[in-house]
Amino acid sequence: MDELELLKKDWKKQDASYPKLSYNEIYKLIHKKSSSIVKWILIICIVELLFWSALNLLIPEKYLEIYDKFNLRTFLYVTQAIHYSIVFIFIYLFYKNYKAISVIETTNKLMQKIIKTRKTVNYYVYYNIALYFLLSVVVNAIMFSHPETMIEALDPNNEIKMSGDKFLTIMLISQIVAFIVVIGLLLVYYRIIYGILLKRLSKNYKELETLEF
Amino acid sequence: MNKELEHKFISEFQEHQKIIHKVCRIYTNNQEAHNDLFQEITIQLWKAYSKFRGDSKLSTWMYRIGLNTAITLYRKSKRTIKTQDFDTVLHRIKSTEYDNTEEEQLKLMYKAIHQLSDIDKGLIFLYLEDKNYKEISETLGISEVNARVKMNRIKTRLKTILNP
Repeated sequence: MDELELLKKDWKKQDASYPKLSYNEIYKLIHKKSSSIVKWILIICIVELLFWSALNLLIPEKYLEIYDKFNLRTFLYVTQAIHYSIVFIFIYLFYKNYKAISVIETTNKLMQKIIKTRKTVNYYVYYNIALYFLLSVVVNAIMFSHPETMIEALDPNNEIKMSGDKFLTIMLISQIVAFIVVIGLLLVYYRIIYGILLKRLSKNYKELETLEF
Repeated sequence: MNKELEHKFISEFQEHQKIIHKVCRIYTNNQEAHNDLFQEITIQLWKAYSKFRGDSKLSTWMYRIGLNTAITLYRKSKRTIKTQDFDTVLHRIKSTEYDNTEEEQLKLMYKAIHQLSDIDKGLIFLYLEDKNYKEISETLGISEVNARVKMNRIKTRLKTILNP
């Protein structure tokens, strides 16, 4: 007999051997909590959305005083207004994509929608990084073009006994180092998140995709 | 969700639960993982049930949600429990109908199936369940031609494992 026919025959024979769960057992099962990756992605995405929004609110008011010295208050408010509108758009898109995930779709579509949802949040994170980078470049450019005002603002009582040039160099270097460290940490974080949650999904999705093209 | 719907679901599910056990049989190889996946599929089915209109059979839904959960949603638990493999335990009914070579062949074949990719497992599962290529392509979201090509590759692979 053909091997596959043999397998099929055996497969059918197994039908009787599967356990039959009682009404109560099934009742208990459907009241348990799901641990699907969609649920995990939702949790992680919400945490990320909150984290990046909270970062803005956590900056102490005192720190913002420096903006006054450079007449940057209005600039700050305008960028923040634009920023929050964009955050709102991102949250809306995320919610829309998340809601579209449905387990009754074809496997291909389901994977596509999960990846799309996850991508929305990724773009949100990229947007934030780009924004922080851009803002620091702009603010730094303005500040460094008025070095006296900056030294006065950061060190009003002249406590740091250091020449102006040296002070500026240290400030610039420390900012660059901080930026590189943050980017490094983010990369590690995403490797972990992707490693844990999406590696298998991406692999399976690619397999279906290469099949189609 | 109301009690009436819950009752209806459980009754219907009870009747077709074999399908879910079979999905777990293909995708897992120990009892703990089997139960874990069974639970997740059942939860996903129940969550989707309120959208079930009855225009298709519940069993059709169960194939789709079962495979979607196994391939996409389910996170394999990190716990590696050293329970005996189904392959060695032989979950199957021992039958006098099989001679030793057939017994051995089947063992090898189930082992080979467990080594297939998640997508290939889905294809072979639907094949074993006598689904035609149209149904297979509609479940996985690939074209019928591709389903056919892929299935032939899996068949050849399984055959070469048995006849090296």
